[in-house]
Amino acid sequence: MPVRESEAIILRTYPLGEGDRLVSFLSRAEGRVRGVARGARKPKSRFGASLEPLSHVRIWFYERETRQLVRISQCELIESFLEAQRSYNANVAFGLIAEISEAVLPEREPSDPAFRLLLATCRAIQSRGSIALPIGYFTLWTVRLGGWLPSLDHCAACGRDLAGQPGWANTEGSGVFCRQCRPPGSRPFSAEALATARTMLRGSLEKLAAAGTRVPDELTNYWMDLIEQHIERKLTVRSMLELAP
Amino acid sequence: MPDFAAPVSRLIEELKHLPGIGQKTAQRLAFYLLRADREQALALADAIRAAKETVHQCSICNNLTDVDPCLYCTGSGRNRRTICVVEEATNILPIEKTRQYNGLYHVLGGALSPLQGIGPEQLQIKSLLERLKTGAVEEIIIATNPTAEGEATAMYLSKLLKPLGVRVTRIATGIPVGSELEYADEVTMLKAMEGRHEL
Ligand SMILES: [Zn+2]
Ligand SMILES: [Zn+2]
Repeated sequence: MPVRESEAIILRTYPLGEGDRLVSFLSRAEGRVRGVARGARKPKSRFGASLEPLSHVRIWFYERETRQLVRISQCELIESFLEAQRSYNANVAFGLIAEISEAVLPEREPSDPAFRLLLATCRAIQSRGSIALPIGYFTLWTVRLGGWLPSLDHCAACGRDLAGQPGWANTEGSGVFCRQCRPPGSRPFSAEALATARTMLRGSLEKLAAAGTRVPDELTNYWMDLIEQHIERKLTVRSMLELAP
Repeated sequence: MPDFAAPVSRLIEELKHLPGIGQKTAQRLAFYLLRADREQALALADAIRAAKETVHQCSICNNLTDVDPCLYCTGSGRNRRTICVVEEATNILPIEKTRQYNGLYHVLGGALSPLQGIGPEQLQIKSLLERLKTGAVEEIIIATNPTAEGEATAMYLSKLLKPLGVRVTRIATGIPVGSELEYADEVTMLKAMEGRHEL
């Protein structure tokens, strides 16, 4: 079996058998992959710190016939986010983006944008004290890349331009509406919140952070609702998240 | 899935609940037990029942024990000024094997793990704080695993404990004995440098 090599981010690991680890990782070249790292829990494991969650790594693996899981033969750290995860808030934030990536990204479907989004979010959580912007950005872009983001520019019913206007999102998550067309039970967004969301769709996370962008919790909660709607379950980590700094 | 007799299927299902046991291994174990002597198979069943019925969590340290409080908590030779905090009861044995530590233990019952829905409330942290109230404890050694979860737990505990005026230490992490520096990654090496000590 030929060994494959790829840049990857470790999403999550589970203890397996005697000292092994089951590893879920996002390969830049191959999408989300699950594999086994033999002996990875033992003190003298050759994997060292490379398989800790959200590690940015170079990984070598090969397919095994009749097995769904690949065998991980080697893994080297490019960038570790282990130190950043020592803070409780950051730890929860890292957990959330790992959970979302695992839940929404299909196995073996490469997505360079999803890879870059995850890496940029890890770096932002590491370098910023606050997790609100990275989480807001990550959830918005996950919804956008998944193709579930309704238009934030025009009313979903009458097509009216929403620039400078508040908007109302329906509970189905299919659209944002103007004041006249809002369906019963829809949730309101201020004109400022919608403007922030539009800015977030245009700028990089780095630039937004440098500009001191503040993401209202209502937006992040909306994106997370859309994600939960899509995966048809609640996000485990969401209940532990405290967005306010 | 092939159809086994109902009791066999049930045995396989039960075995599959064990960590690291999938369908195939469960089948192999089930058929091994069915082929084994009646006494041998039932001895296993009895051992599980006896252990389950007599072993409990220590009401002080949460260690698994058949006497409460456990032998570490009541041992006359134990140093009561130090508590070593571990994730699981199975972590106590390797520490005992060193024969260097004779303080007390506290088993958290896991580590902070947002992905598994484990926050501070799910761990035995309140009971640890209770144990400090007497003022007799001078040092807490945090011996959680040197993984992301274990490190996050250690940091969380140290923030909580330090203001109480107790000395909080962390077990050293870094280069494993018998290995060579050449093969260490930068995180492991950094930990080793941070944990250096005077010779
Ligand atoms: Zn309208
Ligand atoms: Zn005890």
